[in-house]
Amino acid sequence: MTVKKPTFEEALKNLEAASENLKKDNITLEDALKNYEEGIRYYKECTEILNDAKQKIETYSK
Amino acid sequence: MAIKPVSVSQLNGYIKRILQMDPLLGNVSVIGEISNLKFHGSGHVYFTLKDQNSKINCFLPSDRADKLRYQLSEGMEITASGYIYLYERGGSYSLNVKDIEVAGLGNLAIAFEKLKEKLEAEGIFDASHKKEIPFFPKKIAVVTSETGAAVRDILKIIRSKNNYVDVLIYPVLVQGPAAAGEIAAAIDDINVKWPEIDTIIVGRGGGSMEELWAFNEEIVARSIYASAIPVISAVGHETDFTISDFAADRRAETPTAAAHMAVPDIRELKEYVSSVKEKLDRSITSYLQLKELHLGKLDLAAFQRDLESRITMEQMRIETMHMENQRQMQGLLETMEQQVTLFKSNLDSLNPKAVMQRGYSAVTDKEGRFINSAGQLKPEDQLILYMNDGSAECTVNQIRGDEHDGEKTDI
Repeated sequence: MTVKKPTFEEALKNLEAASENLKKDNITLEDALKNYEEGIRYYKECTEILNDAKQKIETYSK
Repeated sequence: MAIKPVSVSQLNGYIKRILQMDPLLGNVSVIGEISNLKFHGSGHVYFTLKDQNSKINCFLPSDRADKLRYQLSEGMEITASGYIYLYERGGSYSLNVKDIEVAGLGNLAIAFEKLKEKLEAEGIFDASHKKEIPFFPKKIAVVTSETGAAVRDILKIIRSKNNYVDVLIYPVLVQGPAAAGEIAAAIDDINVKWPEIDTIIVGRGGGSMEELWAFNEEIVARSIYASAIPVISAVGHETDFTISDFAADRRAETPTAAAHMAVPDIRELKEYVSSVKEKLDRSITSYLQLKELHLGKLDLAAFQRDLESRITMEQMRIETMHMENQRQMQGLLETMEQQVTLFKSNLDSLNPKAVMQRGYSAVTDKEGRFINSAGQLKPEDQLILYMNDGSAECTVNQIRGDEHDGEKTDI
């Protein structure tokens, strides 16, 4: 079974969450680093999708 | 010269033939105002068309009524086309309606309001049924005329904002009697063939109310309502409101607005994603700096001083505790000594020797058993007298009872 790639919305939401979490006052060093790493991973997923400019415009013919 | 009398049936049959042979009456269009409108349970519709001076009964069979493009209403002026039919049984004729056209803003507005009321009552426009338009679609469908202004506007906006989303243009007629059926079928078809499509835009550019009418037809509203894929309705200009707009998940004022609504701006998104990533970087950097600062503040010498003073404090505490213990122990000892002295003086007062010093003696028999009753003795018994400083062996001469009783008793 392959792991389903997250949608752009999911990746963006996770990136935003990671950024918010890092701002918390009482975060531990371990959590901070984990959040940062996850944030970077979601950032890469987001940009990967955004750079995937393979638009197809077609007209359906019956 | 009159012909010979005929039966009623024969007469009506004859009139029917005449009427039905007439080329004009076999295909006639009549303009008039609807009155006595009745929707029969079977689906057939009965009404009267009238003008100022005259009226005619009309019959709209259910299969035709289903295909009607307008919601009929009392007082509405229509053009009904069909043929004249004579009911021989009743001897009356009527217009058997095949199709109805409605012209003029007033009449169309009546039809619009009628349908709107009906669908609203059914819940077709309920806000609770409306679906969210996906923020980042992979693929969208556009149901409109292939040659119209709408498709050009939509594609222009999409191309300028977003080079990611796939677009499927599903060409349909957007005006004329066949348009509504095609639009509705296209929406149904997309739901079946491409369920993965994120959003459907359905619409057309501006036009007269008659030209936009397909989007006011019931069949389109029902397909939009039934669509599992979210639908944006984009018909005409800002001021044009259609039934599809109400049935759709979102109304766009124009096709251009629909395109804006349907797809996000990729460049803006890239900038936004970068900004979030920068924020992430800044946060971790400042977090680590803060921690470093914290660590720097931890001075080892101060730590040692701190520790030493704590040790001193602890030592002092232990010392105090020790002294307190000693003091308590001392007190305890003193108390016990006092008690021992007390016990001793108690004991002293009970020492028989002390009594003997006062002149008392103890008497025992030869075996050393104490004698405490004169009744135990007989004359000639050997006794031992114990005194303070020695003892004496004695012999009993005579035995007397207790003198305190006032009498002497020889035992």
